[in-house]
Amino acid sequence: MSTTMTTESGRTGTDPVEGPGAVVLDGVTKHYGEATAVREMSLSIEPGEFISLLGPSGCGKTTTLRMIAGFEQPDAGDIRVSGRSVLGVPAYRRDVNTVFQAYALFPHMSVAENVAYGLQQRRTPKAEIRERVASALDLVQMRRFADRKSTQLSGGQQQRIALARALVNRPSVLLLDEPLGALDRQLREEMQLELKLLQSRLGITFVFVTHDQGEALSMSDRIAIMRDGRIEQLADADTVYARPSSAYVAAFVGQQNFIEGALTASRDGIATAHGIVQATTARPDLPAGSVAQAAIRPEFVEVADASAAGEDAPTRPNLVRGTLIGVSHLGETMQYLVRVGDDLSVIARRPTPDAPRLAVGDEVVCSWRTESVQLFALDAAAAEAGYVEPPTN
Amino acid sequence: MRNLRFGLAVPAWTWLILFFVLPVGAVIWFSFGYKPGLFGTHANDILSFDRYAEALTPTFFDVFLNTLWVGITGTVICLLIGLPVAYWMAVKSPPSIRGLLIAIVMVPYWANFLVRTIGWQIILAPEGWFSNLLQGIGLTDAPLEILYTRSAVLLGVVYNYLPLMILPLYVAFDRVGDSLREASKDLGANRFSTFVRVTIPLARPGIIVGALLVYIPLMGDYITATVLGGAQGNMVGQLVASQFQTAQNWALGSAMAVLLILVIMASAAVIGGLLWLVALPFRNRYTVTLEEAR
Ligand SMILES: Nc1ncnc2c1ncn2[C@@H]1O[C@H](COP(=O)(O)OP(=O)(O)O)[C@@H](O)[C@H]1O
Ligand SMILES: [Mg+2]
Repeated sequence: MSTTMTTESGRTGTDPVEGPGAVVLDGVTKHYGEATAVREMSLSIEPGEFISLLGPSGCGKTTTLRMIAGFEQPDAGDIRVSGRSVLGVPAYRRDVNTVFQAYALFPHMSVAENVAYGLQQRRTPKAEIRERVASALDLVQMRRFADRKSTQLSGGQQQRIALARALVNRPSVLLLDEPLGALDRQLREEMQLELKLLQSRLGITFVFVTHDQGEALSMSDRIAIMRDGRIEQLADADTVYARPSSAYVAAFVGQQNFIEGALTASRDGIATAHGIVQATTARPDLPAGSVAQAAIRPEFVEVADASAAGEDAPTRPNLVRGTLIGVSHLGETMQYLVRVGDDLSVIARRPTPDAPRLAVGDEVVCSWRTESVQLFALDAAAAEAGYVEPPTN
Repeated sequence: MRNLRFGLAVPAWTWLILFFVLPVGAVIWFSFGYKPGLFGTHANDILSFDRYAEALTPTFFDVFLNTLWVGITGTVICLLIGLPVAYWMAVKSPPSIRGLLIAIVMVPYWANFLVRTIGWQIILAPEGWFSNLLQGIGLTDAPLEILYTRSAVLLGVVYNYLPLMILPLYVAFDRVGDSLREASKDLGANRFSTFVRVTIPLARPGIIVGALLVYIPLMGDYITATVLGGAQGNMVGQLVASQFQTAQNWALGSAMAVLLILVIMASAAVIGGLLWLVALPFRNRYTVTLEEAR
């Protein structure tokens, strides 16, 4: 088994009893011709959980969702919803609804008719349909748009209708494929809050696909970080942020400064071209002397004027000297880009109120605490993914 | 801005006037005239409705009914064949072969209309190879007796006009897209419900275009009827053609042509209205308004 899964939360593994709303993927594989979209993926989602599938474009998130919904059949493995295998069960008979990325509202129907569609398929009595459509529209605050054509709505409004159209069926599982991707930032943040509130109120299992780590961090009970059709780490937001299981996860969730070097004999630091980078916890699983990566988040890097530190201050671990080549105001924080030697850029971010006053061209020192350093086996692809474009000013 | 837009539309207007308004206008104008003598084709110095009265004989009436029958039956058959074929092409067939499929649908159009119709005349001939083949393998024991019947005309028009049905239907089905069908299935609709409630309503403009593209030229067709129908396959188009070409009576031919145009428009409107009425209960059944709830 190549899938890495943390067991810190103690929630992985197959539950003996999978209640209504539980979703279990068991060694699921999906090929498209030569390409493998999902490989031996196993994931156990609890009833009422808000889980995010997070990963870059093309890592297999949509394919996973489509297999749960019933639009694709896995080539291997089993998928269970509410304890029952759904292999071979057509999409229209699954107790699962989807909010599609492009909403997929029916353009020839009014808002109310879109929402009523699922209930009409179930031959719900007309009076009950009206009631449930009305309350579903109330839920997303769209009641007064009931008689509009779905084509006469803004993106955010269409999004709400797509949500109401799915929720009105009271599915045990709701699948959402980057539902907020097309909205502008402010609306997106509003909808994140609303979605989360709605989910905890309704107690429906949400499987939420996103490539936006901020979105995943702010909404999810647990996050499955995917890479090349596999789950790289499965844990809650705190764990994923503070204790990423690999350089890839570290790079994908938040930003990182990566420094390469040889693992020291004690295996709790690396020797780099710019001095020792020291961590608190050792990596006994990695061979001493092997090339490893240290990851330090920009928010943990202190930056100060080099003259204040003293021209000949002793070099110590976790301190590098360089030239400030960029300062940018990000609102709540100031971001500094420091060039160290000719092969390393360090990004530091300080809260705006107590950010040091520095000018581009200043000689500066960057330093950080040992607790802020994470050591990983070298993963060139991950470092690439985590590379941050220098600010352009 | 207005001027520019008007200017850009000039070619379109010119086209419409030169190739539609002027010819049709001329036909209407001639229809009020008369045939001046043995060697004249038309004269308009005295205007009257006399040619219309002259056209409306019982024979002409029979031919009209026959034309309507062939037109409607032919269009319905084209729809019945075109719907599943176009749906399969646009939705079910492997995307990589769709270009090829469209080319195959168009293949008959590489040959001249008359030539491919005569092709059918050869196939359907009582002593032709097809008839002999059928007798040879024992499917029939007498020569094929379909040529110069209404069935032969029907077969010919379906063959000649089917591509005009399939292409707009293909475009319409293709444009509906997979995502709405998937949304429908996601909401609990099986294939049939999805087809009836999502695919067909969204493809409706294409269906209407296809039906009109087949119905209108089919109603005016005279080549197919002449080649495959003989005396049995009398269509109004043949009468109009014979007035212009044989009798050299352009006035009477024009009156018949105008009547044909009117019948085509009126019948299309009536059929459209009837279909709309028939679909009404279906639409009402799925209409949802929240106001009545209170
Ligand atoms: N219908 C398809 N045919 C061929 N390849 C596909 C198809 N759908 C997805 N893929 C491939 O599978 C991989 C995963 O795709 P997808 O699940 O859409 O990723 P994500 O949603 O994470 O961006 C990609 O490499 C993509 O090119
Ligand atoms: Mg996707």
